[in-house]
Amino acid sequence: MVEIFIGLEIHIQLMTRSKVFCSCEMISGEEPNTRICPVCMGYPGVLPAVNEQALFLSYLMGSALNCTLAQKTWFDRKNYFYPDMTKNYQISQFSSPVGRGGWMDYLEKGELKRVHIHDIHLEEDAGKMVHQGNFSLLDYNRAGSSLLEIVTEPELTSPEAAEVFLQSFRSLVRCLRACDGNMETGSLRCDANVSVNSLGMGLGTKVEIKNLNSSRFVRKALEYEVRRQSRLMQAGKPVIQETRLWNEQSGKTESMRTKEEAKDYRYFPEPDIPPFVPSEAFLNRVTSSLTELPAARELRYIREYGLTEETAHYLAEERERAEYFEELISSGTEVAAAAAWIKGELAKLQGRYAFSLSDGTLPPQAVTTVVRMTGTEELTVQQAKQVLELMVQRGIVQPEEVIAQEGFKKAEDDGELKEIISKIVAEHLNAAEQIRDGNMKAVGYLMGMVMKETRQSADPRTARRLLLEEIGCKQEE
Amino acid sequence: MSELFPAVWKQITSSPRHLKCYEQAVAALDTDTCAFLELRTDLGVSLAEPAVKEYGSLSGIPFAVKDNIAVKGFQFSCGSQILAGLRSPYTATAVERLLHAGAVPIGKTNLDEFGMGSSNQNSACKPTVNPWDLSRVPGGSSGGSAAAVSAGYVPFALGSDTGGSVRQPAAFCGIFGFKPTYGTVSRYGLAAYASSLETIGFMTAQAEQLIPIFEAASGADGRDQTSLDCSDTTDLTEGIQTVAVLAGDLGLDAPVLRGYSKAIEAFRSLGWNIVEVKLPSLDYAVPSYYTIASAEASANLARYTGVRYGSRSREEHDHQHMVRRTRDEGFGKEVKLRILLGTYVLREGFQDQYYVQAQKIRTLIRNEFSKLFTKAGVLLLPTFPIQAFPIGDGGLTSMQQKLADRFTLPANLAGLPAVSFPTGIESGLPVGMQLMGPAMSDRSLIRLTAHVSRCFPEVALPRRFSPGEVTHG
Ligand SMILES: [Zn+2]
Repeated sequence: MVEIFIGLEIHIQLMTRSKVFCSCEMISGEEPNTRICPVCMGYPGVLPAVNEQALFLSYLMGSALNCTLAQKTWFDRKNYFYPDMTKNYQISQFSSPVGRGGWMDYLEKGELKRVHIHDIHLEEDAGKMVHQGNFSLLDYNRAGSSLLEIVTEPELTSPEAAEVFLQSFRSLVRCLRACDGNMETGSLRCDANVSVNSLGMGLGTKVEIKNLNSSRFVRKALEYEVRRQSRLMQAGKPVIQETRLWNEQSGKTESMRTKEEAKDYRYFPEPDIPPFVPSEAFLNRVTSSLTELPAARELRYIREYGLTEETAHYLAEERERAEYFEELISSGTEVAAAAAWIKGELAKLQGRYAFSLSDGTLPPQAVTTVVRMTGTEELTVQQAKQVLELMVQRGIVQPEEVIAQEGFKKAEDDGELKEIISKIVAEHLNAAEQIRDGNMKAVGYLMGMVMKETRQSADPRTARRLLLEEIGCKQEE
Repeated sequence: MSELFPAVWKQITSSPRHLKCYEQAVAALDTDTCAFLELRTDLGVSLAEPAVKEYGSLSGIPFAVKDNIAVKGFQFSCGSQILAGLRSPYTATAVERLLHAGAVPIGKTNLDEFGMGSSNQNSACKPTVNPWDLSRVPGGSSGGSAAAVSAGYVPFALGSDTGGSVRQPAAFCGIFGFKPTYGTVSRYGLAAYASSLETIGFMTAQAEQLIPIFEAASGADGRDQTSLDCSDTTDLTEGIQTVAVLAGDLGLDAPVLRGYSKAIEAFRSLGWNIVEVKLPSLDYAVPSYYTIASAEASANLARYTGVRYGSRSREEHDHQHMVRRTRDEGFGKEVKLRILLGTYVLREGFQDQYYVQAQKIRTLIRNEFSKLFTKAGVLLLPTFPIQAFPIGDGGLTSMQQKLADRFTLPANLAGLPAVSFPTGIESGLPVGMQLMGPAMSDRSLIRLTAHVSRCFPEVALPRRFSPGEVTHG
């Protein structure tokens, strides 16, 4: 039996308006080298001026991750030469990170798990190198972006757990609006370290894996690495402490550098930025910006609302979705209905019309009204869906307005419906004949006519019953 | 303030014809002094703000800028081959503020490469010489600025002072050199050598002229988070007037010792008490300073690789090779020495022995000064133990120069204001003495310097250029 120890080093690009030490806007996807200035290009004489929003989001993250927040924090210079680093030192934090010794709870298959956080620290991002044949191009748009590094303890015990944790972490940073959590664009990056050892023997030799740009790759690379290390162990061969690169094409990790080549970063305190001592007002602002985190929400939805793990996860995963769900409930929609409408029709409409639940396109009160009308049979479910879609299409936020425009109303009584049905049957005797002969396909055809004639206002079950009576057929069920 | 600077300067800078004559005259005179690395009056005037050029507190006054301070459009060589060809894309805050007061930057002056040196002989360009004696050094590293003021090319100049780089050349050239309290003048735009020690400083022919310049250039700046307003209203001439002097033999050359004695005499004649003090930690100032300065320099100079600007080696097999070659070809000996020293003291496992130890000494020195300034208003001490020395082998070795910095370094280690002022001519060359005051006493320290200076006969500078020539000719 072996034991697996996995730790993650996660970098998130903080959603600050400007870069961490200069006033360049943080926008991705721009033309290369258009979001740069003398400061982030490392011209002689420039100085870093730390962005307070970046410090705020760092403290917010530290608080959400239950870290001990630094009463005084400062930056250090991490010295190394690399072409994408304009100053050839990175302004980072070494001896006084924003937060230390925290933890994050997450749910794995409905079970609450905890991973401890070693530290979180604020630093600047590097530029990007684009290799073209035998030369390289440099794009410094990203250089100097605010980056927060979160280092976990090696407590994850399987590649799957690492994947689930990372997804949960992504959900957390999005919930706090600290980072957009996008792994493809590199807003969220993750390096993993893993060691395998015989059960009860403690940590093995640590191997670091880089170049993991999706949570799936994190799992796949770790699976590969666990297999590789286990095999070495079985063969009685040593695992070398090294850094390995995940190769997506081959599905393997490849050696990048060994410990012997490890660098001495010659850290020393950054003399250009005075230490930051958060004021009481600053810390209060941090506390008041904290919100219920996705894992806690998910657990509450399961326990309080009796939702399934899957539904609870879906609703709690995104903050705006969770808040919308709760607003539906507080405005009077039943829990089950609220969950079903969000997962079903609203998700479909969002996909079709690309709007967000929090942007006011469909105010929760309006949806509650529509859902309530289906309960009182003022609208059929079909009509309710149509009302919501028309609201989005027409930019109307009052459902009553759409209902009036469409002339939707509950069919007054069976008498009126019966009249419509007998008229339709009389006009389609062939179809009626076929139904009597057992061809039930024609029922759908006639039902379509009925619904069209009643402008969808008929209750389909009632209409079907009356239609079959009119034709002279027994109800099938 | 207008009477502080001759009105003729404004006449020159407001007439394109005069300006051209002025530039030509200075350029011709400077062929042997080599104070300027670049002289571009047209560029300076184009940066000036028309409205304030007319009415600002330094309206129309031309000034020179040490070439390690950014002025948009001007070259920005830092006296180094590695930055050959670089034109600054921006302007330093201090220069911007002087522009806002109406002053006109007209050129960039020579320096020891990246400010490392005290003779100007470490410049990658032709070294500046002392206008008093062309066979002697002007001091450094702000030697070009000192020579430019001393020779009368400009009424004032900016320098930078990391360990005495404004004060020592001022003493060598017979002018005033002021190093403000750390942080009162923004460092934004000053090419970093040792960030925690250096400040931009000012050089003038008269002490009073420093006041409007400091007023205009100082103050908190959002682009330098170590900057702050100099809001203190200390009056050093108030109350019990006590000047501290260092006890014991200071190891001064005879002419400097004569200047020193005259300065003590001057204070006595003004009715001040003289107290002898001992500052034991000063013995460690030189090693502490060079440890910290080199450590910071090793990181500060890492950005010069030829990748984004400046000169790049022609040998470029790969990035690493290119960077190595560029730095090897681009940096001078003294710079390489300090980078290596700095890299050495910051190595993992050796920091406690060197860097941390040096910071502890620095704290001790600071504390000693705080204590001293509860007993005395100011400290009087020599600027440099000898006068301007000869160029070349007859001068001081690089090591001797470092040891001789012992009187100027403490102000940088403690972040305190200090002024070097001329006490007259001894053996044919100027001698400078230094006044150090408590933090934020800058304005008062300048006024006190002006007051004390009146006890000395005015030094007749070796003015090679007089602005009157331009307007009359
Ligand atoms: Zn920038």
